[in-house]
Amino acid sequence: MFETIIGGFDLFFSPLAIALTFAGILIGLLVGALPGLGPLMGIILLLPVAISLPPLAGMGFLISIFVGGSCGGAISAILLRIPGTPIAAATLLDGYPMAQKGEASKAIGIALAASSLGGLVGGVVLIVAAPVLAGFASRFAPPEYTMLAITGLLTISLISEGTFVKGLLACCFGLLLSTIGTDEFSTGYRFTFGSHHMLNGFHIVAVVVGLFAISEMTFQMARDDLMDKPKLEIARPSLKAVVQTLRHWKNLLRSSAVGVFFGSLPGAGGDISSFSSYAVAKSFAKPEEKYGEGAEGGVVATEAANNATVGGTLVPTLALGIPGDASSAMLLGALLILGFIPGPEMFLMQPDFVGGLFLVYMASNVMLFFAGILAAPFFIRVLLIPKAYLIPTILILCCIGTFALQGSVFDLMVMLGFGLIGILFRLAKYPLAPIVLGLILGPILEANLRRSLLISRDGYWIFVDRPVAAALIVIDVVILVGFAVVSVRRWRAAKQSCGLDPHMRD
Amino acid sequence: MKPTLKMLTSAVFAGFTATAAMAEFPDRTIELIHPWGPGNAMAVSQIIAKAMGEELGVDMPVLSVPGAAGTKAQTTAMGKPADGYTVFDGYVAPLVLQPILGNADWDFSEFAPLHSAVSNAFAIGGRTDETRWSTFEEMMAYCQENRGALRYSSGSRNNLPHMVIAKALQSYDCVAQNVPYTQDGNAVKDLKSGVLDFSFINVGNYKSDPSAFNIMLVLSELPGSKASFDGAPTIADLQVDVGLSKLGPMGWTWWIVNPDTPDDVTDALRTAMGAAMAREDVKDAIAKIGFVPLEWDHTQYEEVVGSVQDQLSAMGNALTWEEDELKKLQ
Repeated sequence: MFETIIGGFDLFFSPLAIALTFAGILIGLLVGALPGLGPLMGIILLLPVAISLPPLAGMGFLISIFVGGSCGGAISAILLRIPGTPIAAATLLDGYPMAQKGEASKAIGIALAASSLGGLVGGVVLIVAAPVLAGFASRFAPPEYTMLAITGLLTISLISEGTFVKGLLACCFGLLLSTIGTDEFSTGYRFTFGSHHMLNGFHIVAVVVGLFAISEMTFQMARDDLMDKPKLEIARPSLKAVVQTLRHWKNLLRSSAVGVFFGSLPGAGGDISSFSSYAVAKSFAKPEEKYGEGAEGGVVATEAANNATVGGTLVPTLALGIPGDASSAMLLGALLILGFIPGPEMFLMQPDFVGGLFLVYMASNVMLFFAGILAAPFFIRVLLIPKAYLIPTILILCCIGTFALQGSVFDLMVMLGFGLIGILFRLAKYPLAPIVLGLILGPILEANLRRSLLISRDGYWIFVDRPVAAALIVIDVVILVGFAVVSVRRWRAAKQSCGLDPHMRD
Repeated sequence: MKPTLKMLTSAVFAGFTATAAMAEFPDRTIELIHPWGPGNAMAVSQIIAKAMGEELGVDMPVLSVPGAAGTKAQTTAMGKPADGYTVFDGYVAPLVLQPILGNADWDFSEFAPLHSAVSNAFAIGGRTDETRWSTFEEMMAYCQENRGALRYSSGSRNNLPHMVIAKALQSYDCVAQNVPYTQDGNAVKDLKSGVLDFSFINVGNYKSDPSAFNIMLVLSELPGSKASFDGAPTIADLQVDVGLSKLGPMGWTWWIVNPDTPDDVTDALRTAMGAAMAREDVKDAIAKIGFVPLEWDHTQYEEVVGSVQDQLSAMGNALTWEEDELKKLQ
């Protein structure tokens, strides 16, 4: 573990890597603070820049955007009662009342300190757990990777917003998209329609920019607040926030643990972990703390959890090559483009690079606090910029970034096409994240399933013969049965509350 | 006003012309399209691309486009404008083998070569703790008794190692199941963990963990290749007839560009690559990974690649034989 980190020193301690990590934190805080953007959008917009940089500097840039973006949403949640990102939604429960009591600076300071400390706890878990998991997974073969991919797809379909069926359908749509291009096993072309642009399928960045950024900007434009300027108090948080946060150290550690746990589960992102940690913190709190009326502990719980989630999410992403959410799927995509295959081999063959990634993550959480304290007044002023100026700027960035990937007009058309698909999916209340996971995990699932069957001398029994693969099958069955039981109970409860007997209905 | 407007127009036009003339190649990033997934071969290409980029004064990122035994990458590269800003890493498989197999409709002579890059010897390797056999001939005897029971990987499907291994197995009437992997590292991992029975091992794989492999057959007749694998038996030692000699079994690569690229641009690229390949630091870095830097320039392209094409054509299609034999066992 220590050798890995020491090996990363040379890569991390370069002016470019440190400067880009710092820049990533500032950009992350900015995209987090601006309502409607968030860490995923920040990663998507800056991915084309990152993949043209030296690998560690590029990944440091993206990871720090992820870290900064996971905290930035607290600023608008506290000041405007509008969470910049869904993961900051729980922060407004106590953050906004604090601001109403004239404690906006204190609330933002605590949010920054809790995010930073929670992120560091997540980092410790990442550094300890990822190599252990990678070591364990070094004996994994195609059957285990097949089942891991299925588990990831199932859980994200189950946990994502909307119904399970819609999540599953969105996931299947992503899987179908992943079949476009060249079949590695038969070396034949699938759904390419004779176009060489389609030989590699759709570029993941063009798809994600279209699905998320173009559709989000379209919905933002449809609102009637394009020229609105909110009335804001320019808060100036101070370094004292660390002391104020550490007074809640038990809450901080507990919430960080909740964040790491949910982060390491595929599909369960920062929003679930922050609400869960808030609920846990509230249940442990004394009545006089008055959760929901401006309790410092509420801000500590949610912000520590959502940044610790980032560390947790990176554990399966780096150790297994199985991303936990859409943001980590983009990080995995960036690693692949930069020439690194996340998984046990990366820990074995490129330990220095892994060490560099650990250092980038830890440094970005330290920088988060100081950059946030210094630049908070600037981010608050940015919230005053009307959307009428922000939306065109973001759309131009989307077009430039997507075109710059391969200098391809085709990618721009893909981006616009998926923008339209994203709009339709949102209108029909289908989640978008399972599409991205389907697109990323699809090739992993297909290749390993076919490879398993080629290796097997006994057909599908290879999945039962191998203990880890068999255990994953059991977990998948338990997930599905558990979900079915919960769904039936909810359905019965809903029917009973309507005064209907569910058995009479059919 | 008219003369003034004319003068202004002329001045602006002259300015644009001068600017265009001053914009010498290259004025932006040059992309190298590499046909395999990340691994030792890509690391070597990154070393050469970095040095070549330094000679040209621009960055040369390496873009990995694996799949379809390299043809996907070659088609992608040749679909880009013929302006010299896209270079292709032309390995034997996409450049020569796939057209022979009928999976690509080009001929190597249709492209403009820049310079040869590297060659990479490879071997058939197994695990050191294997109890069923210890030599290649013992493994072949086992294979003959257990037709279709063994699993091996040549990395991608229908690449040069696949062709050569299939030919070697054919000469012993050994039928084994090929399992394709887009990343060599994963095939090596599955060999070590016992999922695969044997695999193609390149010098880089071997050097990274020599104690893990039992190198049973080096697929080359060259003494240098035998030395790279610490004296393991070669096809010459075992008198295995794979129909290849000298250059054939070596997985070399030539960097090529679209034949419609302007001559001055191609010349600039050739000069830069030649200079990069002559640098001692580049040669040392390549050798450390286990590859052999090549010194053939573009004038030797037809001679070298042509001879390999002739040999591969003469080998017959061992891949079809393997496929047919496996079908019979189903």
